[in-house]
Amino acid sequence: MQCQDISAKVVDHLAGALGGPERHEFEAHLASCPVCRAEVESLSQTWDRLADIPAIRPDSAAMRARLNALLTDTTREASRIDASAQIQSGKATEGPRIALPGSRESISSWLQRHISPRFLLQGCAAVLLLVIGIQLGWQIRPPGSREVRELSQQVRDLRQMVTLSLMQQQSASERLEGVSWSNQLDRPGSEVVAALIDTLMHDANVNVRLASIDALKRFAERDVVRSAAVRALDTQSSPLVQMALIDFVVETQDRGALDTLKRLSHDNTVNASVRTRAAWGVDHLEAV
Amino acid sequence: MIVTDEALMRAVREGDLSRLEILFDRYHLMLFGFLSRMTGNRHVAEDLVQEVFLRILKYRATYCDDACFKTWVYRIARNARADYFASREKGMPLSREALQIPDRGSAPEEQVELAGESALLRCALMQLRADRRELIILARYQEMKHEAIAELLGIDSGTVKVRIHRALKELREAFLRLIENPTCNAKTSQRRLLII
Repeated sequence: MQCQDISAKVVDHLAGALGGPERHEFEAHLASCPVCRAEVESLSQTWDRLADIPAIRPDSAAMRARLNALLTDTTREASRIDASAQIQSGKATEGPRIALPGSRESISSWLQRHISPRFLLQGCAAVLLLVIGIQLGWQIRPPGSREVRELSQQVRDLRQMVTLSLMQQQSASERLEGVSWSNQLDRPGSEVVAALIDTLMHDANVNVRLASIDALKRFAERDVVRSAAVRALDTQSSPLVQMALIDFVVETQDRGALDTLKRLSHDNTVNASVRTRAAWGVDHLEAV
Repeated sequence: MIVTDEALMRAVREGDLSRLEILFDRYHLMLFGFLSRMTGNRHVAEDLVQEVFLRILKYRATYCDDACFKTWVYRIARNARADYFASREKGMPLSREALQIPDRGSAPEEQVELAGESALLRCALMQLRADRRELIILARYQEMKHEAIAELLGIDSGTVKVRIHRALKELREAFLRLIENPTCNAKTSQRRLLII
């Protein structure tokens, strides 16, 4: 073992991770090289001394109490929402009726109500395959730009339809998938934004509401989204959703949320962590 | 039979939030040790531990079945610490009056006369750049193997060892400078904490 090998091995040596033959070579070199020996001894002393720095002790009981408060609030909110969802589903006693779309109902909303999202997904995949096939064909015959635009628009409309349909399903995982789909839409229409806001305000599942907050970030410059976030801050009681909304208004520098944040930071009925985060939010927005 | 951390986290993900209490019992001291050594402040570390468990709850749906819980929670802790310091303006701590938090710690401008080499070594450790301090803390105090540190940081274990070596040399130099001039300027340490 040479001097240049020692520096590569010293960290293993300090961790006691050098294997038998390597350790012998390492020690043999140190025995014969005063420069390397002094360097390794000096680093070893520093390494060993690190153990003498006393550890800071936490207030475990206080930390545990804060966690319990957070869990209690979150569990209570989840139970309240589950009970509410069960009552609502109990009201749906009629079997499914499929009526043809009337003159006032658009075909797209009729499709959303009566065609399963899986079928729509398969339909979307079929259209995409058709587009790929046509594009291959266009290599022989140059495409017309109008045809390209029309086909692209149809694909966008179909993807938007699938997104909106998923967001109305009974299963939370499907609604979550719908919110996720909205992130992939190229130029989502106002219907999608409205659906995301509705999900934030009314969805029964905390994870779906949290996902909708993330999805709404790309529309944060729209007044309707900013005012919805402030309204949600006033009405949401889940600490997780409240914290996410506080982060949202701070990231988007929405000074319109200041009054609500100040109220939250002083409200003793609000979770302590949320109060602290709201006060942090006030501090940041006032500095903007 | 001992239930694994991964099984507990899967239960939390599926809705049994009470399991998080067991994970808290297993991990809060380890997390506090890491965060308190990184920040040098007990109260900030306690707040950050709370933030970690809040994020575990918030992002529980994203926990993958094949993920190692310990690595996952360390990633959350690293991100929480980085976000905490990134959210504060350089050299301008959050106003305590605005946060309505009683003053619980010493002022950052305080000059501290230290006695004992341990205190000087702690000061030297706090003077290191955060990424270098983190490597020493993970390897020396959190007892993470180099391969685990490599996985956490997304680099290979050879690079981990090289960086630990460099960080240790830098620590030694800072310590020796303090030995010659045994006055730890807490403001310098705090400024480094706020910048990183």
